[in-house]
Amino acid sequence: MTTAISRPPLVRSSDRVIAGVCAGLAAHLGWPVRMVRIGMVVAALAGGAGLAFYAWLWIMVPTADENAKRNARRPASPIAPAVSAPGPLPVPADFVAAPFAAATFPAGVTYPQAPGSPGTPTAPGTPGQGSPAQGSSAWQPGPAPASGSALGTAGSPWFRFRRMPYGKEILLGAGLLLAGGILTARMLGVDVPLGTLIPAAAILGGAAIAWMQLDETRRAGLLDKTKADQAGGWARLGAGLALVVAGVLVMVSGSGSWEQTWLALLASVAVLGGVALVLLPWGLKFWRDLEAERAGRVRATERAEIAAHLHDSVLQTLALIQRRAGNEHDVVRLARAQERELRGWLYRDPGKEAGQLSERIKAAAAEVEDSLGNAVDVVSVGDTAMTERHEALVQASREAMVNASRHGGGTVSVYLEVADGGVEIFVKDRGPGFDPQSVPADRMGVRESIIGRMKRHGGTAVISSSADGTEVRLGLPSDAADNGEGKS
Amino acid sequence: MNNIDTAGAHAGGVSVIRVVIVDDHAIFRSGLKADLDARVTVVGEAGTVEQAIAVIAQTRPEVVLLDVHLPGGLGGGGREVIAGSAALLSSIRFLALSVSDAAEDVVSVIRAGARGYVTKSISGTEITDAVLRVAGGDAVFSPRLAGFVLDAFGTAPADIADDELDRLSARELEVMRLIARGYSYKEVAKELFISIKTVETHVSAVLRKLQLSSRHELTKWAAERRLL
Repeated sequence: MTTAISRPPLVRSSDRVIAGVCAGLAAHLGWPVRMVRIGMVVAALAGGAGLAFYAWLWIMVPTADENAKRNARRPASPIAPAVSAPGPLPVPADFVAAPFAAATFPAGVTYPQAPGSPGTPTAPGTPGQGSPAQGSSAWQPGPAPASGSALGTAGSPWFRFRRMPYGKEILLGAGLLLAGGILTARMLGVDVPLGTLIPAAAILGGAAIAWMQLDETRRAGLLDKTKADQAGGWARLGAGLALVVAGVLVMVSGSGSWEQTWLALLASVAVLGGVALVLLPWGLKFWRDLEAERAGRVRATERAEIAAHLHDSVLQTLALIQRRAGNEHDVVRLARAQERELRGWLYRDPGKEAGQLSERIKAAAAEVEDSLGNAVDVVSVGDTAMTERHEALVQASREAMVNASRHGGGTVSVYLEVADGGVEIFVKDRGPGFDPQSVPADRMGVRESIIGRMKRHGGTAVISSSADGTEVRLGLPSDAADNGEGKS
Repeated sequence: MNNIDTAGAHAGGVSVIRVVIVDDHAIFRSGLKADLDARVTVVGEAGTVEQAIAVIAQTRPEVVLLDVHLPGGLGGGGREVIAGSAALLSSIRFLALSVSDAAEDVVSVIRAGARGYVTKSISGTEITDAVLRVAGGDAVFSPRLAGFVLDAFGTAPADIADDELDRLSARELEVMRLIARGYSYKEVAKELFISIKTVETHVSAVLRKLQLSSRHELTKWAAERRLL
């Protein structure tokens, strides 16, 4: 495991005893977790160096989740391949494809193969070129936490039982053991400076409580800002603060009488109040500026993202259209493809999960539209998750769309309806029509790819054709097994 | 004044439908104008909400071809134009025209009072047909709008217990389904063995339900757009 050439980034692991520092460090260095942990404890005993180091790493190093969130960027635009990878097209003789592509549109044409390659004339700083490169490196951390936890569990069975659920109990036990040890030492006559130790412990404990709180609010903030249990968080922060203040007071006032402590407390509260009075407006202003700046940055990021998208898709297509203005077929095809992509980007329902049947049908329609040039309009009502039988349905309807586009020669209408009883797909064209009975037996398209395929999967395929056009209706009733799969 | 105009339009026995085009893109307006055939005549154009309301009040057309997205006004687009011309709604019919695929855009303008919705990519003849149909008091549904309707009302036929406005009858469902499949009104009539007039009646009934129904799916769109 240490032979890995690329070192995983330093992140705090989710496999943790206190804050995941040791496990993360071990994953980063490629050492066994146990060794790191023991080393840390030893270092902690050496004048508290380990403690300071641990605390420092705790604050500075992000958790694996945070790191992944920070690095997660949008994937590269999907239009570039769609637009720049045309099917066999009639290109005029003076538009020799290869030099044209290489000389004028390297960004659009080479994009799918070499994102961000140094040869592209587009500015290297443009987000469109930059993000795919970042994206690919950003996904490297993906496996890192996994390997980290693998190290943490498989590499050190001795520590395995000290996983998260018992972390706090063990910490508490260690604290109690320590206290017991100190008491025993006192009984045995060793002079333990209790007056310093107790407040110091109080300060440490308070700080730890407050820090844990910080850690968890960060995590909660990433998950859901509104749902975080604010009350518990505040209570913990208050408890930590109280512990630290009490500890400091006792330490400063020299473990003296209550009177002295009260006086000190009063004095410090008065001083703090005065300072707060003076600094509060500054603080508020600073906070507001910070918020405004953050909002501005969010806006700028959004803008950059939109600009990057438009650059990758619409601008490229517009340039291509200008280049091929003489070829009406190409212009229409490019415009359709770009329109489809932009629509998808603008109106896609983010809450809708991918891989649904309607999306597959739309993708098939887009493919047919791209390769044959005739518009394929899809209207869908309802949706369902894909199963193997639906896959056959998609294939059959794709074949029907190809036939409709090829022989109908105009706009193809596709209607998908998903109801409780099953799925129905209608593919209609307005071509001259044909007689389904007279299709020669060797023509595989209709007989095998549509009718045969649907029958094999328990569905139906009916083709009705007249002089006004042809309609293929595919039906796939849902059965019990299908239902079960759909629901799980 | 209105009477004189109408009389003028009907002079010579052939009724030419007077149309106002409202769209913020001048190129699209002139293209559409060129595409429309001789059965209609364009009497006015507008590019913003304010212009549109003014032009409509001034020219009193029979049909307004109305883009859903328009600059100006309070940001309400085509919906605001219809609201601003509410006093004339009995004599003027609106046909929504949009590049937008988003259900709430289309449904909001329909619920504001438009008699139909077509996409900008359809041909001049088809738009002319749609204008004539709207001028005749009928509704114009594109396959996509029919899809929205089926999505919003559900594809199961009406129960008797339900509010009549909230469900489509079995026949209306059949008509909507055929339109969503790409059938023209004529083809729907042929398929269902009914007259075109009956198809138009069904479609108008669906339009009325779409405009008046308080189904959750529809009121949700309305609420999101602050239409309530």
